[in-house]
Amino acid sequence: MRQEQRTFVSARRFVAFGIGILVTFTALTARLYDLEIVHGDYYHQLSEQNRIVRLPVLAERGGIVDRNGYVLARNIPGFAISVIPVDLARSREDELSHRLAAVLDLPSDDVREAIRAQRIRNPYEPVRISKTPVPREIALAVTERAELFPGVRVDPESIRFYADGTLYAPVIGYTGPITEQELGKLKDSGYLGDDDLGRTGIEAVYEQYLRGTYGWREIERDAAQREIKTLALQRATVGNTVSLTIDDRLQKLLDQELRKGVEEDKFTQAVGVAMNPQNGEILAMVSIPGYDNNMFARGITTAELAALNADDRHPLVNKAIGDRYPAGSTFKMVTGLSALSEGTATRDTVVNVSASSFSVSGTTFYDWRQHGSLNFVTGFAHSSDIYFYTLAGGTQFAPNVRGVGPDAIAKYARMLGFGAPTGIDLPNENGGIMPDPQWKLATFDEPWTIGNTYQEAIGQGFVAVTPLQLLNAYASVANGGTVWQPHLLKQVTDAAGKDIPIAAWSSRKLEMTQENLRLLRESARRVVTIGHAYMPNLKLPIAGKTGTAEFGASAGKDSAGRNKLGFHNWFVSFVPQADNTDPTAQIAMAIFTYDSSKSLCELCLNPAVGMTQRILEKYLGATK
Amino acid sequence: MNLPRPATPLHDRPAPRRWTQIDPILLIVTVLLIGYGLVMTYSTTAETRTFTGDPMQFVIRGAIWATVGMAAMAAIALFDYAWLGAFAPLLYVFTLGLLWVVLAIGTSSLGAQRSVNIGGLSFQFSEVAKVLMIVVLAKFFADRRASIGSPLTMLLGLALLAPAVLLVYRQPDLGTSLVFIAIFFGIAFLAGARIWQLVALVAIAAASFPVVWALLKDYQRARLSAFLDPYADPQGAGWNIIQSLIAVGSGGATGKGLTAGTQSPLGYLPIAESDFVFSGLAEDLGFAGAVILFALYIVLLIAALRVALRAKDPFGMLIGGGVATMLLFQILVNVGMAISLMPVTGIPLPFISHGGSSLVSICFALGVLQSISMRREPEGP
Repeated sequence: MRQEQRTFVSARRFVAFGIGILVTFTALTARLYDLEIVHGDYYHQLSEQNRIVRLPVLAERGGIVDRNGYVLARNIPGFAISVIPVDLARSREDELSHRLAAVLDLPSDDVREAIRAQRIRNPYEPVRISKTPVPREIALAVTERAELFPGVRVDPESIRFYADGTLYAPVIGYTGPITEQELGKLKDSGYLGDDDLGRTGIEAVYEQYLRGTYGWREIERDAAQREIKTLALQRATVGNTVSLTIDDRLQKLLDQELRKGVEEDKFTQAVGVAMNPQNGEILAMVSIPGYDNNMFARGITTAELAALNADDRHPLVNKAIGDRYPAGSTFKMVTGLSALSEGTATRDTVVNVSASSFSVSGTTFYDWRQHGSLNFVTGFAHSSDIYFYTLAGGTQFAPNVRGVGPDAIAKYARMLGFGAPTGIDLPNENGGIMPDPQWKLATFDEPWTIGNTYQEAIGQGFVAVTPLQLLNAYASVANGGTVWQPHLLKQVTDAAGKDIPIAAWSSRKLEMTQENLRLLRESARRVVTIGHAYMPNLKLPIAGKTGTAEFGASAGKDSAGRNKLGFHNWFVSFVPQADNTDPTAQIAMAIFTYDSSKSLCELCLNPAVGMTQRILEKYLGATK
Repeated sequence: MNLPRPATPLHDRPAPRRWTQIDPILLIVTVLLIGYGLVMTYSTTAETRTFTGDPMQFVIRGAIWATVGMAAMAAIALFDYAWLGAFAPLLYVFTLGLLWVVLAIGTSSLGAQRSVNIGGLSFQFSEVAKVLMIVVLAKFFADRRASIGSPLTMLLGLALLAPAVLLVYRQPDLGTSLVFIAIFFGIAFLAGARIWQLVALVAIAAASFPVVWALLKDYQRARLSAFLDPYADPQGAGWNIIQSLIAVGSGGATGKGLTAGTQSPLGYLPIAESDFVFSGLAEDLGFAGAVILFALYIVLLIAALRVALRAKDPFGMLIGGGVATMLLFQILVNVGMAISLMPVTGIPLPFISHGGSSLVSICFALGVLQSISMRREPEGP
């Protein structure tokens, strides 16, 4: 019996089975050995990465204030709306997508897609739906009707807010979301994928000061991404406050006058820039039309951006530095200083302007009147074109006066800062054009003519300047020969009120005599007292120079529906401390009006002159 | 051959039990493994207790089940296992009934209907069904020793097996239905079935894989794909595998220490006290802890095989072999799953996975083994 059973169940099968057991456990042990002993460290690291995550602690961006501490840019609380898919029933997904899309003004397909993608990726983690900070009213509406918004989460988030947005947008610029490429470069500096950073203007230039230093928090989290506890914490440091050299009072005075001029149809666009000639600090910088940079801060819509881009007045360009214009008669200062410095003219160089026009090789050149005998001061004061044609190229009206020539004019113009960016602390500065014979040959493959010299002498033709370049050149004359690097940054203060050191501003000296510079200051003062820029009941020793340049079409309408008038007007001024020729001016200002009315000019009513008087009297009246 | 039939319902002759023939190694290793299981239950649920307010809740429950299991083991050992053979047809009907009940009135959890609630306790009848099926199949093959080589016997055996497999698969519990199949192969192999027939069966199964693939549920297919390449969907189907590998690997040589693991208390390891308990064990106790566990398992399995080899009749031998097959298969699949040698299936790790049904069923099976051991022919002349 027993024998029979033994043969029925073969012992060999049991032995094979036993070997199978051993083989199985050997295999399992080998695999375990590989995982735990050979790769133990690697997996240990993975388990730590699993459990411990370092989260950024965002730093509030620093504010931007004017020289007196008036706040120009700050952060106001807004809200971010996100959805946690695990808290949202699939059946209500469509309904919620539609409702959120309506509230947030987003395409509902995008909302649904975002929720679906997150549901697959990690349903426990919220996915942000609002692309831009949401105002309080909407956030409240969502939280109060929670039953209509299942799975929706509202978190505070700050929005950049610009007081006087449109007024300061050309200077301050705006912040915007970081791009993929920028992130690649900036990741090591602690930037995150959904960060904002300064996109243009002061916001971009002083990003390093404004951004602050993010902190971090090391947390232990469970598999559902829930925070278990904080393991370590590094606090964030708030961004520094950037103080600008801008004086809000002057900025607003300038803006009011310029805006009024546009409304009264005296011109269609305008620029006003003021600076302290003694140190290059920009006191005001107005560019009209501008744009509201709050649109960018809260997230500009495609339609809004398209409208800005389609506007033929280019509101996104800061015209004080970003575009170049013919300088007109204001450029006579350059022609004059060139002739004086080269010794081809003195204050006593007399030109008898016995006619209001003359012809050279078939081209007629005009003056605006038959001035009679002029010396340097009266020629400048009355803005005689023929006087400066003579200084630049020589004319029949003063056979003994040798023209200084285009190369010399270009040399001194460049010394005064034309033809190159001034180096102001703003992006996208235009360098203007400062032509000379080589430039013309290289650019147009044509030789320079005497006509080019004449045109250049009075700031027409090829020469093109930015309002800031012109202002800076006049400021260097007003301060006795120093060309400053114009700048907007006054100081940087950290959260504790401590000053952060900033780079020194550069300056260079004009290679011109004090005597000649003094002569220019005297002449500029005469422009106001006896000449072209008469200012009734003037209470200040304002000196300056007008300029008028004809350009383009004087027909049709611009994007704002205003008539194109075909003229630019300039008035560049400075105000010495007393009515003398000393280089004491603390303020210099350039006003530029685009598309001024021709009729205004024919009556010699340069609108910039009256505005300058009103602005400076109001601004300095309070302090003097 | 012409011995008189005894006056009992048993067609095999009844045997007296001999207490001295209890297999002591089997008993000791059983107790050690139960203890190891309680330690692991404590370790993997240590963090959970801070949330539930009852710190030792799982351990106490495990201890109660262990007591119940030991009692069941003793009780079963007292009875002559030959009775099981006598009632095999009834047991078979009972088994199918249990599995049907699960489908009929079972409670759902995680999308599967695997347990039945009775008096606040939840029972996984398929755990008991596995052990009963061992008895049924052992009886079937023991009774067909003459025709073991016939394909017909194989087909009959398969026909016996199929309803149980299908009922379990319907729960759905692919893992447990695979255990049933493994038991069949184990017993058939030990019963002396023709190797070519077994190979042919495996070949047919392999050939029909495309059909099976089509019948699989989406999540089962995802698990199989994830097994082949867990990093294809690391947050989804591959998550469990990756997290399990991290848990095991991070244990290193000696582990992070009891309750010091991070993968299971923080929820990276799903079902850490049951399906993925081995990952938690390897994380907490390291390679050393796993090797100790393996050593205990080897001793247990060899002891079970020894009981089978020494059994007085084919029925006892095949029961012993079937129990060893079941345990080995469950260990292989559970541990293999944790270390990514096997696809993810929810099979408990004997003794270590927290769960009363599994523990009591195994104790029941080991009780049968002790019964076989006690009723073997005495040693020596």
